[in-house]
Amino acid sequence: MLEIKKVMKIYGEGTAQVVALKDVTLRAADGDFLAITGPSGSGKSTLLNIIGGLERVTSGEVILDGGRIDNLSENGLVEIRRRKISYVFQQYHLIPSLNALENVLLPLTFSRAGKSDEKRAADMLRRVGLERRFKHKPAQLSGGEQQRVAIARALVNGCSLILADEPTGNVDQKTGREILALFQQANADGHTIIMVTHSPEIARRAKRIVAMRDGEIVNESEQESCEKR
Amino acid sequence: MKLFDVVVKDTLSRRRRVLYTAFGVAIGVAAVVAVLTVARSGEQRIYSEIDKYGPNMMVMPAINDVDLRLGDLRLGSLAVGDNYIPEDKFPEIRRITDGAIREALGIQDGADIAIIAPKLYIDTTVNGTSVMVVGFDPEEERAIKSWWNLSTGRYPEQPDEALLGAKANSALGVDPGSRIALNGREVTIVGVLEETGSQDDYQVFAPLETVQLAFGKLGLISSMDIRALCSACPVETIADAINSTVPGVRAVAVSQIAHTEMHLVKKVNRFMLALAGITLVVGAFGVVNAMMSSVYERTKDIGIMKAVGASRSQILRAFIYEAVAVGLVGGIIGYGAGVLLSYALGPLIFDGLTVKYAPQYLLPALGLAVLMAVVASVYPAFRAQQIRVADSLRSL
Repeated sequence: MLEIKKVMKIYGEGTAQVVALKDVTLRAADGDFLAITGPSGSGKSTLLNIIGGLERVTSGEVILDGGRIDNLSENGLVEIRRRKISYVFQQYHLIPSLNALENVLLPLTFSRAGKSDEKRAADMLRRVGLERRFKHKPAQLSGGEQQRVAIARALVNGCSLILADEPTGNVDQKTGREILALFQQANADGHTIIMVTHSPEIARRAKRIVAMRDGEIVNESEQESCEKR
Repeated sequence: MKLFDVVVKDTLSRRRRVLYTAFGVAIGVAAVVAVLTVARSGEQRIYSEIDKYGPNMMVMPAINDVDLRLGDLRLGSLAVGDNYIPEDKFPEIRRITDGAIREALGIQDGADIAIIAPKLYIDTTVNGTSVMVVGFDPEEERAIKSWWNLSTGRYPEQPDEALLGAKANSALGVDPGSRIALNGREVTIVGVLEETGSQDDYQVFAPLETVQLAFGKLGLISSMDIRALCSACPVETIADAINSTVPGVRAVAVSQIAHTEMHLVKKVNRFMLALAGITLVVGAFGVVNAMMSSVYERTKDIGIMKAVGASRSQILRAFIYEAVAVGLVGGIIGYGAGVLLSYALGPLIFDGLTVKYAPQYLLPALGLAVLMAVVASVYPAFRAQQIRVADSLRSL
């Protein structure tokens, strides 16, 4: 369960102040699938950064599974990234020198480095349909394939909350739908997903749409669950 | 997969950058290795020159000047003491000398170590020509005077055989095979020395006992030349020990010239080492620079690693691993370059010096290289671990 209470985010000081988020309050139950939409500069990416602990709030609280995470120390955030929150980026952000399997292994390398890791990473790659791309470096993979690797990497640690920033923004529509299907599958498996997107088509597949403008939530709408469509 | 594997893969994928960074290490290490190798060869040459120099200690009869006084009236001084050393002091002098060398070098066995060449000098007339006859021990003398060469004949082997210095040979006008009388005792000339440029040229050498018998000096010698077999032997200490324990003799260390020369070489070496040290520091700044740009270059990768759960200490460790790799590569290159450089520099610094390869510097050189790379990486690594994920990835 994720709760965001009256979060403010102000960049800069004095006359150069920019208010990125004004009093944002939001809730995501376990197993939820939120799509955050809005024009550029509406604060949707800032909101995602704050949820993930990449940026600090100016005021307000972020509570994950009953505990505040907005005021955690650097080491506390490391623990959160290892166990609870993982990211999927628009630019995939894979390590170029590592192959697909090694990229998926990376979170496990940092969190525990056990022996059964490789099998787990391989399972994840199979789950995203890349069973024949284990040894390929990112440069040898298509954009869609790289994003699949990134999703496998986000899932491998078993984090309950997955934050995705325009995950389909760099791929064509068909591939975008395939990527979205993977998120839906992960959501069906119990992962909570918060996805920033400006594609109405993608957003419509989420369980809830949160529309933002000028740092505020302007509309929240429940949708029929994807399975019923 | 371990963090180490990640670093290895990453390092291998950036070979050119790593090589460039390692180059900074290599320059510093090469300078140090070259200087140490040249310095070592330089010192070795001095040592071998000292070895060729002959005796490094002389033992002579002690002659004291004693003031003669009557009441407060000073009557002058009188030389007191014999002009000869009894041969029975010989074992004691050997015991002190060998003992000190054993102690200095940590040797256990009881065999003779130092070369001790006793001599008895007699001023006499042979065939109407005034010459110096020297009673000597042929084997010990030749061991000390390694520069001796024969122009004709051989060295004396029998008690009634004698050797001539080059000038004595021409002065006396006798050739090998002819016989001369030493105070009535006949000896056969068996060899003539090549000119040495020393007083040896004017002397007639005959076995010690023969000369002692001929001149009625049985059991007496004039002096001893002593050579410790090691360049680093504590000659002064030995001389002091002999002077304080053996009465009637005076031991003098003759290594002063060698020491002066060595002192100069040491000064040159220290100067070169200081230059090498500066090179090392300059190289280290090069490494800092290269590591810094490596951090900037990988800001994004570091951000990704942090985003997927890397802690600050893991980022720090990754950079230290990389530094060790850079250090090893730089160390190997630097060591090789340093050895080659020493061959080029040696003859220029100490003219005509042949540099000897010194394998013992390999491990210290690698250690120095790794240390240098790690120290130079501390600040860049510190900067790397402070990178903020949000800044490095811009869009999340």
